[in-house]
Amino acid sequence: MTVVPAQQAGGSGGSSSLYDVLELVLDRGIVIDAFVRVSLVGIEILKIDVRVVVASVDTYLRFAEACNRLDLEAGPRKNPGLPDLVGQMTESGARGKSKGALSGAAQSISEVFSKDHDEEPESKPQSRRTSSRSRKEESE
Amino acid sequence: MSTYVYGIARSTHPSPPEQLGGVGDPPRPVRVLRQGRLMALVSDAPEALRPKRRDLLAHQHVLREAGAEGTVLPLRFGGLSPDDETLATVLAEREDHYLERLQALDGKSEYNVKASHDEQLVLRRVLADDPALRAMAEASRSRGETSHEGKLELGERIANAVRVREAQDADLVRVALNGAAEEVSAGPQSPGWLTNLSFLVDREQSAGFVNAVEAVREEQPHLVLTVTGPLPPYSFVE
Repeated sequence: MTVVPAQQAGGSGGSSSLYDVLELVLDRGIVIDAFVRVSLVGIEILKIDVRVVVASVDTYLRFAEACNRLDLEAGPRKNPGLPDLVGQMTESGARGKSKGALSGAAQSISEVFSKDHDEEPESKPQSRRTSSRSRKEESE
Repeated sequence: MSTYVYGIARSTHPSPPEQLGGVGDPPRPVRVLRQGRLMALVSDAPEALRPKRRDLLAHQHVLREAGAEGTVLPLRFGGLSPDDETLATVLAEREDHYLERLQALDGKSEYNVKASHDEQLVLRRVLADDPALRAMAEASRSRGETSHEGKLELGERIANAVRVREAQDADLVRVALNGAAEEVSAGPQSPGWLTNLSFLVDREQSAGFVNAVEAVREEQPHLVLTVTGPLPPYSFVE
């Protein structure tokens, strides 16, 4: 199984790593009480789901279908989960999947940002307390 | 004019390069404000600053550049001091606390780890681990045409098994990586991940931490781990 340290470290610079740590930049780090906080309106991206919601009828059906296909691929083996049976597939499958999910998130973020840019020329820095109210107004 | 604050370091920390640009368009030049034994990396705050991509990146970039020269306590994005004097007062009041944090974090970085499941592989895994469930799936397949209700029942049982596996894997990741780190902090919850953890790692131990991540990847192929680091220690400053 080969690894590519540069990819996995991910933090050597560039914008791609921002999406993986956006919630840290926005939700961790020192907060000083005497300061004003920039409003975070437009950052609902954090709540956007990049993973399937497991508990839904659609998921139940998809899992059932997927299991039928899995069994056909794997044949009547006793241990379809043995890593060496699927090792090859694991690498490429996992890579492809995480890439897909991340670029999906990236796209959503850029949409949020461009929307923000186009439609909100009036906003000024404001205290964080008001952000949920503003967010609500915006969605109305 | 209000003052945007990026991070706090010891007053002996090297000054950032002159061309280092901060938030705003055009980027506001980053400057240093010294107070006692501390300094803060600041810039003038642009009017109507919003959490735009460019500005989030600038915040991260300034911390990364300054952090390469020594320990810097990162501020959360978007902290605006009304003026330089207010910031100087805060630094003076909290000097001991910030110095303590700087010492505690010397030579350490944050690594953020998010885990999710590869769907195909976790399905294989839960079927392999549960003979009754596997028998149910095989019976369903051998019948060929399965009723809608039959599929729902099977799918729901599989989904339950996947959820149990998510909780197990969240524990597994924490335990497997904790040993290679100084501290661990749970990241903000998001439905996008089965776990989101930040680890504080001594720079001398970073290779060991990366190896521990690799070991989890090899032993648990159904887990997709997204590792980002080294980062400023956002999760360990308070």
